[in-house]
Amino acid sequence: MTLVAWRQSVAMAARNLRRNRVRTVLAVLGVAIGVFAVATLGVFGNVLALGADDAIGDIGTQVVISPNADAGVESLSAADVAAIRRAVGEPAVVPLYADGAIVAGPTDQQFATVYGVERPGAAFSAADGSLPERHRDGAIVGAGIAEDLDVGVGDRLEVAGAQTRVVAVLAESRTFSPVAPDDAVFLPESAFAADGYTQVLIVSGSGTEARAAADAVRESVNAREDRVDVFELAAVVDEINEFFDLLGTFLLGLGGISLVVAGVSILNVMLMSTVERRQEIGVMRAVGVTRRDVLRVLLAEAGLIGALGAIIGTAATVAVVAGLVVSTPAVDTAIALDPTNGYYLLLALGFGVGVGLVSGAYPAWKAANERPVEALRS
Amino acid sequence: MYSVELRGVRKRYPGGGSDPVVALDDVDFAVEPGEFVAVVGPSGSGKSTLLNVLGLLDDPTGGRRLLSGTDVTSLSVAERTAARKDSIGFVFQDFHLLPTLTAVENVTLPTAFDPDDASDRAASLLERFGLGDRLDHEPAELSGGQKQRVAIARSLINEPAVLLADEPTGNLDTETGEAILAEFERVKREGVAVVAVTHDPLVERFADRVVELTDGVLVGGEAASASGDATDDAGTAGRSLHTAGGDEPPERERSPGDGEPLRDLFGGSGGDPGPAAGGSGRGTDGPEGGGEGR
Repeated sequence: MTLVAWRQSVAMAARNLRRNRVRTVLAVLGVAIGVFAVATLGVFGNVLALGADDAIGDIGTQVVISPNADAGVESLSAADVAAIRRAVGEPAVVPLYADGAIVAGPTDQQFATVYGVERPGAAFSAADGSLPERHRDGAIVGAGIAEDLDVGVGDRLEVAGAQTRVVAVLAESRTFSPVAPDDAVFLPESAFAADGYTQVLIVSGSGTEARAAADAVRESVNAREDRVDVFELAAVVDEINEFFDLLGTFLLGLGGISLVVAGVSILNVMLMSTVERRQEIGVMRAVGVTRRDVLRVLLAEAGLIGALGAIIGTAATVAVVAGLVVSTPAVDTAIALDPTNGYYLLLALGFGVGVGLVSGAYPAWKAANERPVEALRS
Repeated sequence: MYSVELRGVRKRYPGGGSDPVVALDDVDFAVEPGEFVAVVGPSGSGKSTLLNVLGLLDDPTGGRRLLSGTDVTSLSVAERTAARKDSIGFVFQDFHLLPTLTAVENVTLPTAFDPDDASDRAASLLERFGLGDRLDHEPAELSGGQKQRVAIARSLINEPAVLLADEPTGNLDTETGEAILAEFERVKREGVAVVAVTHDPLVERFADRVVELTDGVLVGGEAASASGDATDDAGTAGRSLHTAGGDEPPERERSPGDGEPLRDLFGGSGGDPGPAAGGSGRGTDGPEGGGEGR
């Protein structure tokens, strides 16, 4: 049964490795460093990508649809909005009127974008006050404007000369949005006398969803003529993600080089050790140990070096990443604990063992296939 | 049936120059179960090659090789390994024990990767050789004689038909060498054929038969050649030899004289490895080899 043979081989291999401890330790160290390099660089790259994704990921979740002036479309009709709704399906579709106006508080005034919106709750959230289900009265103020004009809920506000009252202050937008709600004032649709909407905002849950929505709009609303312009940042986010993928691969490659060096050191150790033990292997072959069993013992030796080095390297990586998280507040613990990092650890672990086996294969094969007559002669 | 048998075996090595080196030249050699044969000859006479060919470590260039009556002239590498494991035991001049293994583990080495654990058998073998208190010692902790006993135990773990020894006393002092040779006598009494390649006159004294190899030509290789050419006769002769050898007390201080008559039984070819052995051993081999090869 091969299980017995493997157990025997590993036991014999372990003893052979103990014979020349210094050499074994050095080879294990080589693998450990290689695995450490692959694992740390892999995890670092991943943490970087995850962190960036966390910071800029929301950019890609909004799509802005505006009329295509080049095609003579000045505004988006209710029919257009309905068509967009049909096209995108799930994500919230928020039609907006937009204009610019002087906004004045009790002491200060400034120029701001003014939007007309019926259902602000679909796209925004309030920091102070509450967003009405249907916006019929009063003004909703962006966080930036509220601060600049020093106004809060209940305060009077003058928008383009008309008096109104602040009903809510929006939470500061944490991500980049093409609508720039921080520096805008949102009024009810009735405040605008225009025929059609200036733009339509699509708010989706993820970049992928936003991209799908944008594509759907392009395909259906723009099917016959380009009625609308579709502005989305998902493509930019894709580019950024691609860059981080590249960076991650590059870092892994750097780590891989050290793993290759470790592999060469195993090759060297195994070659030296099989040359030194040439007679012993010849004796084993002479007394009836098969080539396969000799191969198994030697592969087990190389595999043990690889596995031991891989375990040490992986453990060191875990320690270093943990140290980094503790010492650097900028690194989010949640990001460091992300399951994808475990994938890099497993990858490095597997590579370590694999490098051991691959580099051990040639010396083992060579030793196992030597004719016992030749091996015994020396 | 012979334990091991060579018929017209030749072995050539490709030489450095134009002519190949002839290590074995038309060698006929056969050993009965329970017979102890010493192979002597000057260095470079082909003794090691003979042992390698007998031990299935090397293949002959020509001729036939039989192991317990089975033709094993040309086997695959795997088949040869299996045949060595099953039927042949090796004892080397340098003992060749694995330094990382204990005595018991060294003895079980041939079966180390088998599902069955042979440790008990190994322990009883070692006890038989007086090493009952050294079972878990590593070779470094053993004396030369003890190491060679471990090696003999290893060669017997699979109950081989043939034990091949390459200068078994070469690294031992005379007293220890005699003790080891006495062990060989015990081994052969269990029906194992023992072939020892040696320079040591001591080995010749213990051997039932001495054959000489000179420049690849073997003198006195055929144990039963003088007893006739029928297989049955050869077998009977072999048995009688075996019995004779077996009845003899295993005294260490056996004198050369005691051995002499025994050898005379086999056509007198064994005696002194001198000119007396001349060509007597070989002449009849050709036809017999043809008739007997199973």
